[in-house]
Amino acid sequence: MIVFDDIHKRFGPKLVLEGVSLTVAKGRILFIIGQSGVGKSVLVKHLVGLLRPDSGRVFLDGVDITDYSEKQFYPVRKRCAMVFQNSTLFDSMTLLDNVALPIRKHKRLRDKVARREALGKLALVGMENEALRYPADFGDGMRKKVAIARALTLDPEYVIFDEPTTGLDPISANIVDRMIRDLSDRLGVTSIVVSHDLKSIFSVADRIAMLYKGQIRLDGTPEAFRRSEDPVVQQFISGSPEGPMEV
Amino acid sequence: MNGVLHRVGSSILSLSREVGGLAVLLGQITVRLFPPHLDGKETWRSFYKVGVKSTPIVVTTALLTGAIMAVQSSAFIEEWGAYGLLGWGAGFSIMREVGPILIGLMFSGRVGANNTAELGTMKVTEQIDALRTLAIDPISYLIMPRFVAMIVMLVLLTVIGDLFALVGAMIFADLMIDVSPQVFWHSLLEMTYLIDFLVGVIKAGFFGFAIALVSCHYGLKVTGGAVGVGRAVNNCVVASAIGIFFLDYLLTPLIDSAWAALFIRYG
Repeated sequence: MIVFDDIHKRFGPKLVLEGVSLTVAKGRILFIIGQSGVGKSVLVKHLVGLLRPDSGRVFLDGVDITDYSEKQFYPVRKRCAMVFQNSTLFDSMTLLDNVALPIRKHKRLRDKVARREALGKLALVGMENEALRYPADFGDGMRKKVAIARALTLDPEYVIFDEPTTGLDPISANIVDRMIRDLSDRLGVTSIVVSHDLKSIFSVADRIAMLYKGQIRLDGTPEAFRRSEDPVVQQFISGSPEGPMEV
Repeated sequence: MNGVLHRVGSSILSLSREVGGLAVLLGQITVRLFPPHLDGKETWRSFYKVGVKSTPIVVTTALLTGAIMAVQSSAFIEEWGAYGLLGWGAGFSIMREVGPILIGLMFSGRVGANNTAELGTMKVTEQIDALRTLAIDPISYLIMPRFVAMIVMLVLLTVIGDLFALVGAMIFADLMIDVSPQVFWHSLLEMTYLIDFLVGVIKAGFFGFAIALVSCHYGLKVTGGAVGVGRAVNNCVVASAIGIFFLDYLLTPLIDSAWAALFIRYG
C-alpha cells in the first residue's frame, strides 16, 4: 500500500501541492486526474524519490521512505517502476538494449541472456520485430510501448504511468489500457496512472483522485465521479470551458 | 555604484556556484572510485566515441601544425644556417606546448562540447531521471566511463598528435629548406629529453581531467530545454579553454621542478 500523507511541495513562489493525502491500495488501479500543471506528475515523483516533499510523509507498505537517501531509494525503485510522459528511452541505444539495460544491471545475467529476456518483454508490447532499431525511428506511441516494456523488466509490484495514452492512436491507447488492466488482474500489480484521457479513466480505473488547486478535490470510484455534483468535477468530466474551474 | 556592486556580487556568487558544483561532482566521482564500478559496455562505447572517432581530426591537425611550424621557421633557419636546430625546435615546442594545448583545445571543442550536449539533452528529456527510476546510478553508469575515457584518450591522442606533428614538420623541412629527415631526427633525438615528452603527456592527462569534469558538470546541470543545452555547451567550451591555459601555466613549472628534484636525488 502507498500512502501520501499531507504532502506540500513548492517550486519557487508557486505552491503546487498544499497538503495532499492519498492512499493507494495494493493490486488496484488509481487514476490521478486534473488540469495540466496542477501537480499530478509532481505528486507521483515523490514515490520514487525524484522529488522530495517540503513537508508531509510518503509510506510504502507501511515504511516511511520520505527521508531515504538516493542509495536507499534504489530498492524502492526496483519495486516501483515509472513510465514517463515522454517515454525517456535512451537515444543512443537500440530498443532491445534499452529494455535489456535494467536486466543486465540488476539481474546480473550475461548479455545474451539479458537480450533474450528483453526480447520477451518487447514481445509483450508487440515491438519484438523492431528490436534492433533506435528510438528516433519511431513515433510517440511506439516509444511509449517500449518504455512500458522497459518498466516491466524488473517485475515491479507498483507501476506509475505518467500519461500513458497521451499522443497514442485509439487502438494503441486501448492496448495500453488493456495492459494496465491485465497487470492488475493477472499479476496483482498496483498502478498509479496520471491521465487526462476520460475514456481510459472510466474504462480502467478502480479509483480516481482528482487534484485541484494543490489538493484532492474528490477521491472515489468512477461511479462516484459520474454521480458527483461538484461543479469542478463535472466541468472536468464534461470538458466544458465554462464553469468554476480556472483555465 | 549599486549597479556595479550588484553585478560584481552576482558574478562572484555565480562563480562560487560553478566551483561548488564542480567540487560536488568531483566528490561524487571520487566516492565511486572505491571500488570502481564501470559499466563495461558504456566504457567501451565512450573509448570508441572519445578516442577512435577523434583520431582522424587530431592526425590531420597535427600534421598540418607541424608542417606550418616548419614553414614559418624556414626563413630564420636559412638566415642563420641553423639547420641542425630545426628538429630540436619543432620537437621541444610540439611535445611541451603546441601538442597538448592544441589537441586539448580541439578535444574540448569536439568531445567536451559533445559530451555536454548529450548529457544536457538527456537531462532535459528526463533520460537521467529515467536511469534513476531504473535504480541505475547516473554517475556510475554515465559519468565514470566518460571521465576515464576522456583522460586516457587525451593522453593517447596527444602522443599520436605529437608524432604526426613531428612527421609533418620533418616532411616540410625537407621540402622547403632541404633539411633531410636524418638531420631532423638527429637534432630531435640528441637535443630533446624524456622530460620534454613527459611534460606534455602529463599535462594532457590533467587537461583531459579538466575537460571531463567541466563538460559533465555543465551537462548535468542543464535546465531550460534546447536553449539551456546551447548555453551549457558554450559555457563548457569557454570554461574548458580557461582551464587548459590555467593548468598549463600551473603545471609546466611544477612538473619541471619535480623532475629536477628527482634528477638531483636519483641522478
